[in-house]
Amino acid sequence: MKQDLYEKVVSYIVENQDKFYRLAYSYVQNEQDALDAVQNAVCKALEHYGSLKNENAVRTWMYRIVVNESLLLLKEKKRLVLTGDSLQEEASYEEKGYETGEELYSHINSLAEDVQSIIKLRFYEELPLKDIAQIMEMNLNTVKAKLYRGLKELKVVMVQEVDI
Amino acid sequence: MKQIEGAKEIYDRIPIPAELSERIQEEVNKAARKRRRAAEIRRIRNGLTAAAAAAAVFVTALNTNTVFAENASKVPVIGSIAKVLTFRSYETETEDLKITVDIPSVEMIREDLKGTEEAVNEEIHRLCQEYGDEAVLRAREYRQAFLDTGGTEEEWAAHNIEIRVWYEIKAQTDRYLSLAVMGTESWTSAYSETRYYNFDLNTGKLLTLQDLLGENYRETADRCIRSRMEEQMETGEGVYWPDEFKGVDENTKFYVNESGNPVIVFEKYEIAPGSEGSPEFEIPREGERAG
Repeated sequence: MKQDLYEKVVSYIVENQDKFYRLAYSYVQNEQDALDAVQNAVCKALEHYGSLKNENAVRTWMYRIVVNESLLLLKEKKRLVLTGDSLQEEASYEEKGYETGEELYSHINSLAEDVQSIIKLRFYEELPLKDIAQIMEMNLNTVKAKLYRGLKELKVVMVQEVDI
Repeated sequence: MKQIEGAKEIYDRIPIPAELSERIQEEVNKAARKRRRAAEIRRIRNGLTAAAAAAAVFVTALNTNTVFAENASKVPVIGSIAKVLTFRSYETETEDLKITVDIPSVEMIREDLKGTEEAVNEEIHRLCQEYGDEAVLRAREYRQAFLDTGGTEEEWAAHNIEIRVWYEIKAQTDRYLSLAVMGTESWTSAYSETRYYNFDLNTGKLLTLQDLLGENYRETADRCIRSRMEEQMETGEGVYWPDEFKGVDENTKFYVNESGNPVIVFEKYEIAPGSEGSPEFEIPREGERAG
């Protein structure tokens, strides 16, 4: 049983490594750091897979580790990569009123950590909100509130209600 | 929504470096053995401690290694430079498992050489401890598998499972101290491990192949090993897989022999069939620094 879980975690990681890499990259913004973050995450995951009670939670659990490791790496490096320049760019976002994909991409990275994580998981990784709530260890309503706050900040108008 | 799709497109186009899958695989391989047991290690350790208290001979001592002492008297000068001590020695024997551990410690006697050995000793101690712990776990797993597949306790006991962690002094001259730290299990060679620690007694630091063979140590060693392999294959002395030999680098394992030459050691199956064991190649040093 334990062994099965371990194998499951390993194969889940191997199959989804590209996703983890992109997500990590979206935080650290360079290849080497993204590789490090993913590797650290895999290391942690395999070390602590015992804490994973329910095998159906592999996905949310793994995303949580990747997000945490990416943020940790950012903090450790004290890089604050995007907050620095994006603050300055903020003004131009305001004026334009719309953004190209690229601008929006970096704007997302300048949002508060939890808000940007929620947006990335929702729109990049296309995860359901209830999974995001698990990943973020928040209740569903908080996640929704933060998501809307983030979208408002990005001035993205949602055509329809975000489905859960 | 359209805009956010634009951001997602950028996200989806983040290129995946080829290195990613290597890094993941590396982590999986590294973890596979260790992690699987991580959750159990504590439990087993507790079990061991209890067993040790109940039935085991447990000796903790700081003994001067006798081999060394004999040799030291033959070559008195070494005694004043460095020595190898048995840092910890113990033997545990339960009904079905015997563990013998001798952990060495290197001590630099000359004050100006001190410094490196501390870190090396720490590493040696940690490795020995880890190896011992993991070997015990492997033995337990093996036992469980044996019993699960219909073996009896009596049959198991007949296996005489034995774990050894010990060391050997490969060379001690007035210039070098070379030490092999080994771990073996009597029922499988798959996890046998040998690490070499080579000290330069002029500096107190660990030696590299480059220190011994010079700038071009790669070419020198590669040339020597390749020609030796060919030679031995021609004379029928040995069988190798020359294609598997990728050349030496700074991580290649070696010890120093009494003549002060590096001896490169390959893992079993690394460049030759298992029947060849762990092939060793002495690389003669060309004149320089000889003596």
